[in-house]
Amino acid sequence: MYIKDLSSISPQITFTDEFLNGDFKIHTNTFYSAIEPSYSETIPSSLLRRMGKAVRMGIGAAMPLIERNEKLDGIVIGTANGGLENCINFLNQIIDYDEGMLTPTHFVQSTPNALAGQIALMSKNTGYNVTHVNGALAFENALLDAMMFLELNERNSSLIIGAVEEISNYNYNIDQLANRYKEECVSNDKLIETKTNGSVCGEGSTMFVVTNDSNNALAKIVDLKQINFPTKSELEIKLNQFFIDNELTLENIDLLVLGNNGDIQFDFLYDDVKSFFPADTEYVYYKNFVGDYRTSSAFALFLTTHLLNGQLLNHAGIEGNLTKIPKTILIYNQFEGIQHSLILVKSVEE
Amino acid sequence: MQKIFITGMGAISSIGSTVDEHLNALRSGKCGIQKARFFQSRYAENLVFGEVPFSDDQLKEINNITRQKEFTRTTVLALNAFKEAIHQAGISAELLKSDRTAFISSSTVGGMCYTDELYSDANLKAVPSNYVRSYEGSDHTLRITKMFEIGGIIDTINTACSSSANAIYLGARLIQTGRADRVIVGGADSIAKYTVNGFNSLMILSDEACKPFDENRSGLSLGEGAAYLVLESEDSAYDKTKIAELTGFGNSNDAFHPSTTSDTAIGPILSMELALKIAEIKPDLIDYINAHGTGTENNDITETYALNTVFTKVPPYNSTKSYTGHTLAAAGSLEAVFSLLSLKHNELYPSLRCENPIQEHNSKPISHFCKKELKHVMSNSFGFGGNCTSLIFSKCI
Repeated sequence: MYIKDLSSISPQITFTDEFLNGDFKIHTNTFYSAIEPSYSETIPSSLLRRMGKAVRMGIGAAMPLIERNEKLDGIVIGTANGGLENCINFLNQIIDYDEGMLTPTHFVQSTPNALAGQIALMSKNTGYNVTHVNGALAFENALLDAMMFLELNERNSSLIIGAVEEISNYNYNIDQLANRYKEECVSNDKLIETKTNGSVCGEGSTMFVVTNDSNNALAKIVDLKQINFPTKSELEIKLNQFFIDNELTLENIDLLVLGNNGDIQFDFLYDDVKSFFPADTEYVYYKNFVGDYRTSSAFALFLTTHLLNGQLLNHAGIEGNLTKIPKTILIYNQFEGIQHSLILVKSVEE
Repeated sequence: MQKIFITGMGAISSIGSTVDEHLNALRSGKCGIQKARFFQSRYAENLVFGEVPFSDDQLKEINNITRQKEFTRTTVLALNAFKEAIHQAGISAELLKSDRTAFISSSTVGGMCYTDELYSDANLKAVPSNYVRSYEGSDHTLRITKMFEIGGIIDTINTACSSSANAIYLGARLIQTGRADRVIVGGADSIAKYTVNGFNSLMILSDEACKPFDENRSGLSLGEGAAYLVLESEDSAYDKTKIAELTGFGNSNDAFHPSTTSDTAIGPILSMELALKIAEIKPDLIDYINAHGTGTENNDITETYALNTVFTKVPPYNSTKSYTGHTLAAAGSLEAVFSLLSLKHNELYPSLRCENPIQEHNSKPISHFCKKELKHVMSNSFGFGGNCTSLIFSKCI
């Protein structure tokens, strides 16, 4: 499966070239909010008013791709929580008004599939349409779905795929109660090295056009694998199996893109995985750009695609060890040691 | 292309906690929609629901998980149906751990079924509830995955009311593309203040038990439940009793409105046509259709229009939501179970309470129980967000 185009709205200025040109936004709040475009050119104002942030960011990231790419055969979205702000607003009304007569807007906007439905509606796309909500693997499941769709369809098929997650007071509160976020403020350029409990919440939407045709492609997604509830030895066995399945050795990886989020409880898992590779294997982090959220691996793939095309090498925000343009990248992310994912991406030159 | 066989089924809803109990209820025309006994809401007084007739504690006792405080009703319903399905298919504990065994589930309300606890936790009203780590849509999937140490691909889908039909579709493609040998597919949802108030705000809940395809229908009745199928490749299923073959599936978006289907029913028509194309059969070979049939003004007229567009002569059809109410994410897989029961036993079950069939288009649902030799059956699921999915099951030859 090939990436043909991409677009992102994130806590960095990714909806224009500013981020690619070297701009690095520092966030110092207890969460890292997305920097959003005005949307005035992509979303009619009457629609925009009714949209929650998740749907808004998702549409904002998807519409430029729809304008630039003809003939899309469907829409596949990954989101752990969808429009949670609308969801809990509706819930609050239920309780506060003792189940009185409510307006349906929040309810309709709150369903996780509202974004994929809205993209279909705005682009008049009656093709394949699915939303995956499998927690921290929601985006990976969307990738897998797209990969199977393209394998089973004729050449030149293409899909828009992507992910969205929004910060709301409510999911922040719930995850805070579950001890998932840091108590102290940590700026994003210091996030990875904090080594305290929890991470910092981020948000955003990243969208891709994927096809089964290598013409004009930006990157090739070779394979992906998910691993659930593994022990350390199982993680190593399954990672090795993934390399055998793809006829690669660990030495073939030029760069690891790692999901470290500064949470001392789980960051050792990235060290474990890194230790399986030769000591001089280069690596970069990505959550220092966008914070942590369930579908942040979509941003990792955004970063990866640009790195494979020789961009961002000297970017001020790059943390890790990166000296040369990589050709083969492995993205590794995990959530609380429960859901792990590997995404193998190669440059397109042959 | 790899064939996909169904080797196991599990179901729980207001009309039964096993597949056999569902079969008896369908044969005897027993409706599960009535006053709620356990659901707490001001609407429990004046509306009727397809409620599973057990309390949360009873459900946990039945499933031997009384100590798992963080398990929600959605999770326990899912567990109940999951266990029945793997038992029938003879999937051993060891086989579940194989990386060739996948689990694709779905839910809409998911862990948010405890609306009051979620309100408290989201607004920091009190000490964290038992469910603070249970609210996400994927919660039930992950708890079952952990419990059975399922080794293969795991996913949770939410395409509203077509969720579990898409779980079945995705599972089928895992087998077709060689990524799994066996997949447990389906979905679960429980009645929640969240969905009851949501559908009520759209003014599509009926005061009385829903009357799908009736001229005087007044909306849908909400239900709850869970259903799972075991899909297996030919090699994996070779020595097993095969219930049927999954031969067709189609997915399309109506691209019209967030919560209603277009008058021209583009999405429903496309999903049915795609399923027929994949199954490589002509429309006139479909012997029975389990319709989406919610009982809302919009769904039933647009679905009737779609059926009359796709089929020159509309095959016998019913809405089994007239028995169970609309079980949301579970509806696609629950109705797949009902379609498979029809197919297996060569029986058609009546659509309940359709006294004056929709006059337009001159077609009416099955009105009484009858025996009929069936070869190919279709099941439709259409959801908010324009998400339409059709499945075709065929007798094994």
